[in-house]
Amino acid sequence: MLASFGAATLASYLVVSGILLVIGVVGFLVRRNLIVMFLCTELMFQGAAIAFVAVGRYYLDYSGQVMVIFILTVAAAEAALALALVVFMYRQRDTLDPDAYGELAE
Amino acid sequence: MDPLLPYLACLILSLAIYAAIRPASLTFRIGAIVATIAAAGWLLGIVAGFLSSLEGDAASPFFIIFSLALIGAAIRMISHERPIYCALHFVLVVIASAGLLLLLEAEFMAFAIIIVYAGAILITYMFVLMLANQTADPNTPDPKAYCDKIPREPAAAVGVCFLLLCIITGTVLHGTSQLPSQPSETFAWKTLEHLPKQFKASVLEFDESFVWPPQINEQGVAIQLEGKTAYVVSSEGVRLDLDETLLPTNTQSVGWSLVNDFPVSLELAGVILLMAMLGAAVLASRAIELGEREKRAVFLKNEDASS
Repeated sequence: MLASFGAATLASYLVVSGILLVIGVVGFLVRRNLIVMFLCTELMFQGAAIAFVAVGRYYLDYSGQVMVIFILTVAAAEAALALALVVFMYRQRDTLDPDAYGELAE
Repeated sequence: MDPLLPYLACLILSLAIYAAIRPASLTFRIGAIVATIAAAGWLLGIVAGFLSSLEGDAASPFFIIFSLALIGAAIRMISHERPIYCALHFVLVVIASAGLLLLLEAEFMAFAIIIVYAGAILITYMFVLMLANQTADPNTPDPKAYCDKIPREPAAAVGVCFLLLCIITGTVLHGTSQLPSQPSETFAWKTLEHLPKQFKASVLEFDESFVWPPQINEQGVAIQLEGKTAYVVSSEGVRLDLDETLLPTNTQSVGWSLVNDFPVSLELAGVILLMAMLGAAVLASRAIELGEREKRAVFLKNEDASS
């Protein structure tokens, strides 16, 4: 049976997931490579997933883990669409720099 | 504790991240990454120490190992110049966070994220990295592309980083001590009650002499609780204490929660995946239109074949 744990343990998991989310945001703002920018969004998803599972575990509730399934769904859909777009745009402009796509509408 | 201490740790952490993402020599960057990990550890220590002074429980060594590996790999991922290595460091991030999920006793999700992230999504990224490979041109003197070397908005990024960290840390510090109380640990028996076939099979396997069905008490449930022990009463009035091994496993409980609590979201997830598939198919069929150079190459090839 799951044993409950205290608020301090929950807080340390939440801080780790917060740091992971922040690193993802920083990477998204800093990198100039579109593919790596989308990898950084996956990093943010990971942070959210850990927070969901930790809070769900604190309340001995499985809804948090179910949310991770939905996060996985969204991440997979996002990866498929974003990467298809990246390949499409790379063939048009020959670069992965997001600043080069300023006037995407032709 | 000084209330400004966690915010100081946030500031140091964001400055260390800034040092790690700046273009500089390798030793400087490694030092910056170590400083980042140390600052993150300090911040964690402050938060955990503050809260355990309230109630007194300590983090396990595995938690420390996994979270430091997680943060280190994430920092290296956003600071590495070559996209392939970014993707490989992301695999390390996924494995470390799967370790954290294992510590949280979410076994199914731990292996699911390894399979889906490291197995499926990362392979897609690898394919695209190979397709859109910027370093393949032998004429460029520097193998690292311009877009991988110069950070885009480092100052804004560090500002956002500091603000977000402060908000998250402040919320965690002041919020978790005021959380509503936890449910009792014995509520997991309710899930077993919801799975009648498994309930019957596991009870009869546990004690073959039990006469099915059990009596339903005045609250309408068969599994009754007395302190921390759960028991059922057979139709002949014999009491049977239930063992903890009869509880549904993690995977069973997640599946039950998925179909019982979130049926609409499950359908919506299916629709999202369908839309992503349609969108990717549409984009792929458009991307097949060749550019000028490729059209000429195909034309010349056809000429050769016909002559």
